[in-house]
Amino acid sequence: MLLFRGEEHIDRWCSSRGLPRGAALTPDQAWRLAQGWYRDKVKPGWRRHTLEEAEELMARTGLTGQFWNLRGD
Amino acid sequence: MTEAAADRAEEFARSVRIYVFRQAAETGHVPQPPRIAEALQQPQAEVEEALRYLAAGKVLILAPNGTNIWAANPFCAVPSGFRVDAAGKTYQAICVWDALGIAAALGSDALVRTSCGDCGDPMTLGIQDGELTQTDGIVHFAVPAHHWWDNIGFT
Repeated sequence: MLLFRGEEHIDRWCSSRGLPRGAALTPDQAWRLAQGWYRDKVKPGWRRHTLEEAEELMARTGLTGQFWNLRGD
Repeated sequence: MTEAAADRAEEFARSVRIYVFRQAAETGHVPQPPRIAEALQQPQAEVEEALRYLAAGKVLILAPNGTNIWAANPFCAVPSGFRVDAAGKTYQAICVWDALGIAAALGSDALVRTSCGDCGDPMTLGIQDGELTQTDGIVHFAVPAHHWWDNIGFT
C-alpha cells in the first residue's frame, strides 16, 4: 500500500509494472482503517479480528465491493 | 503434542508476542530471537518455535527462510520507505497503512514521512489528537483483500 501524489501517478505506477489498477483510498480512510486494525495491537489482550469484525470495519470505512471481499473470489 | 503441552506453547507464544510488540512500541526497534530469548530467559529454539507459531497466525511476519522478524506489523524491523516520527522516536513501517497503524497502536501524535510511489516526491501525513490533520495524495492498494497474504511482501 503506497501513497501517491494523484490519480495519474497511480495509473503510471500500475502501467509501468503491467498491473491492473487496484483500489484508491483517501488518507483519511486509510487512517480510519489503520485505527480499527491496529489500535489494540500492542495491548496484552489483543486478538485477531474475526472475519465479521474485519468486514464491519471495512464497511464502516466505506470499503465495499469485490476488491475488499475477504471471503474469497 | 499433548493438550497440556499445546497450552504451554500457546502461553509462551503469547509472552513472546507481548514482549516483541511492547519493545517495538517502546524503543522503535523490533527485537530478534537472541534478544527475546535473553529477555524471557528461555532457549532460543523455543523462541523461534513461538515466532513460527505467531507468523502462522499472521500476528507478525518472518523474513524469508528464517526466524528473524521482518515486521511485527505495524512495526517493521528494517529500514523502509515509510518512517514515522512519534513519541520522540522514529519507527519504520512496511507500507502507508502500517505507518498510520503505528500512530494508532501508540495512541500518539505522529508524522509519517514517505515519498510518492511513482515520482518519488517527498510526502507527509500528520496525526494529531487522533485526527489526520496533515494530508497529502491518495493511498493505493494494489492487491485485492482476499489475496493480501498470498505474498505479504508485495502487498
